Amino acid sequence: MNNIKEIKNELLNDSYYEIDHSSGLKIFVYPKENYSSAYAVFGTKYGSIDTRFRLEGEKDFICVPEGIAHFLEHKLFESEELDAFARYAKTGASANAYTSFDKTCYLFSCSGNFRQSLEILLDFVSNPYFTPETVQKEQGIIGQEIKMCNDDPGWESLFSLLRAMYHNHPVKIDIAGTVESISHITADLLYSCYETFYNPMNMALAVAGNVTVEQVLSVADKILKPKASKKIERSFEPEPETVVQDTITRKLSVAMPIFAIGYKENIKTPERTLKEALESAILLDIIAGKTSNLYEELISEGLVNTTFDTEYFEGYGYSAHIFTGESTNYEKVRERINGEIMRVKKEGVSREEFDRIKKKHYGSFIMNFNDIDSIANDLVGEYFSGCGLFERLSVLESITAEDIDARLRNAINIENSSMSVIM
Amino acid sequence: MSVSAYKEIAKGVKLLCVNSEKFKTNCIKIDFYLPISRHFAAQNVLSSLMGHTSKRYNTFKTFNGKVESLYGADFYSDIATVGEKVRLCFSMELPDDRFSLDGSKISEDAVDFLIDIIKNPNCENGCFDSEFTAREIRFTLENIEAEKNDKRAYALSRLRQLMCSGEPYGIDREKLENDIKELDGEKLFSAYEDMMKSSTVVITACGSLNGDMLTAKFTDFMNSVKDRAPERLETVFVEKADKIRYFNEQMEVNQAKLVIGLRTGMKNSDDNYFAYRVMTDIFGGGPYSRLFMNVREKMSLCYYCGARLLREKGIMFVQSGIEEENYRQALDEILNQLDIMKNGEFTNEDFESSISALADAFRGVGDSPVSVCTFMASQAFDGELIDGEEYAEKLSKVTREQVIECAKKVTVDSVYLLSGEAEDDE
Repeated sequence: MNNIKEIKNELLNDSYYEIDHSSGLKIFVYPKENYSSAYAVFGTKYGSIDTRFRLEGEKDFICVPEGIAHFLEHKLFESEELDAFARYAKTGASANAYTSFDKTCYLFSCSGNFRQSLEILLDFVSNPYFTPETVQKEQGIIGQEIKMCNDDPGWESLFSLLRAMYHNHPVKIDIAGTVESISHITADLLYSCYETFYNPMNMALAVAGNVTVEQVLSVADKILKPKASKKIERSFEPEPETVVQDTITRKLSVAMPIFAIGYKENIKTPERTLKEALESAILLDIIAGKTSNLYEELISEGLVNTTFDTEYFEGYGYSAHIFTGESTNYEKVRERINGEIMRVKKEGVSREEFDRIKKKHYGSFIMNFNDIDSIANDLVGEYFSGCGLFERLSVLESITAEDIDARLRNAINIENSSMSVIM
Repeated sequence: MSVSAYKEIAKGVKLLCVNSEKFKTNCIKIDFYLPISRHFAAQNVLSSLMGHTSKRYNTFKTFNGKVESLYGADFYSDIATVGEKVRLCFSMELPDDRFSLDGSKISEDAVDFLIDIIKNPNCENGCFDSEFTAREIRFTLENIEAEKNDKRAYALSRLRQLMCSGEPYGIDREKLENDIKELDGEKLFSAYEDMMKSSTVVITACGSLNGDMLTAKFTDFMNSVKDRAPERLETVFVEKADKIRYFNEQMEVNQAKLVIGLRTGMKNSDDNYFAYRVMTDIFGGGPYSRLFMNVREKMSLCYYCGARLLREKGIMFVQSGIEEENYRQALDEILNQLDIMKNGEFTNEDFESSISALADAFRGVGDSPVSVCTFMASQAFDGELIDGEEYAEKLSKVTREQVIECAKKVTVDSVYLLSGEAEDDE
């Protein structure tokens, strides 16, 4: 039996359905009236940081090569007969996949033949097929993907920063691994990872757009079989509070130095709440957003250009407030950011700024509900973080200016930061 | 979605509002089209300046503050070339009025804002403020220089310049940078006046905003611009390349970037367009395409290898990232696949996969206000306006024979390789 629950939001005048499928899989269906297309994403809570794990009851943890989650994503498209892309070619759907630090997602969008495409998605993700030959073939392709990323200074700058901030946490390793690390990947290792992380209890399916619950369930009932599931135990080495190094520089061919400055949060528990994450986003807008005094000053003084930006970066066991941009005088930029952090800490956030930025986040929340791809991806992402899709709104409403002051005091310490420079 | 036609609301100004109740947001987009001219450098700076400050909102803080107050609206100003037309675009997407917390009409406020920043830029007595001009010149130059950071985009831009040198399309970066350095507030103002008077303007909106309000405001505004005389917009189509030219440049890269420029044989942007679209897609579109299946999947030479048709100029680009030592092998295979297209040796499956993928994608084009605006605006110069469904129909009617006929007209013009710097022998 499938247990179905409707979740409504009055402001948006939208609903979605949360289904506990008989296979053990969590399924979300978000129908969109008068839409022509549909978007489906099938994800597993398994990403590049999951390098050491075991199933409950097993004796030893296994350690896998860096980049294997991403490698597995590539290989899952293959099967003994037609690969998934060749099957999608018959339905007209546009398919893709991505791997992040903490999840791997397979997706497609289509306007017609929805059921056939969903059948392909559920089927190929449920049926792995790896051989030494196909693994070897992929090493060439992924090797080129890695080299492509190595030519992207923004990407390289972020990973340099993560290596400067984190001693042990695997967030510092490149999502795709290295040409060397992926050379150790074998078909057997791929099967081990697959068996551990690709089970319904660790996965979710979300579909949005021109679809009904019945359509989705008719396919899910046909393809998905219950699977014995065991608890996954992940193992992370303890991460010291401090950063590894203050500054890290690398040479790449760039027009102007690219910097990333990260403030590592000293966390007592591995996961941040949705409230903390939203507070951090508001906080970063107040300190250095496009309407902040600091932004205006740095721009006017010629210290940065309009690429200057901020990001709250967090996941299981890591959390940092990051400032990025291009500058010939990055040391000065860092000084100024530190100064602004100290000023806001001392004076508190201004009520007017807080109100305006909160209103902006309210608007951004609404704007997310046009696009079926962001709806489906957010459904999976929020579920893996233990939240509901609409929760963001009530949490946002509950945040006060005092919460932001407290978040700043607790989460950003200018003594515990690193800077990476690509020059 | 009901699509009528663009309405002429002033001389050379077309407006279309696609009303749809299904969205949470409204999108408004204003495009100014001009020929690539002596003002090109100034237009680059103007696009940046007008997207950052205006007379009323003359700091980043006040300008962005206004945008933020429109419930975190996404606002963009950018400049691009479409064939040999320059397009300066100002666009905004924001939550619909029904989400306003105090009952204010956010969409009307947004229209007023867009008109205000275009009508009243940050200038006085025929001259843009010198300090702001200098700052925006810096941003524009840094932005052009930063293209080097994205090796893939840089390689494409170099191929374009080398292949089309002598055509307005082949924009010379160095000349552009020098021209920008020579600018001042007065030159910028003269480019601004030229934009207001000589452009063809395309205004497109989508959502549940009030179309009458939008039309009335833009009609008033555009009719208040004196002496409008839109310039003719033409693009030269070079149908054929006589021989292949080879270029090799070096930079510090981990992966070599290969770009091939081809002349498609199109005589204008409507010449067999749908057949060319399908041909390009079978050759190097999705994962079912010849290039993906062979250069990537069979030969493991790359992560990406694809082809793109530039309808407005009648050219095609093929791009791939490879090991430098595999250059010859990759190039040979790409050209071999092109021959397969010309000889009609692609399979029926290749053909059908491409048609169904393209048609499927266009059928979904009406599912976001931004994609509706982009899709409609791209047809503003066409005789008829069609929706995604009709577009898909036209693609579905393309025959195998038409595809082969198009492929036969394709000639390779230029091959460009951006490779790593040779190591010193010492």
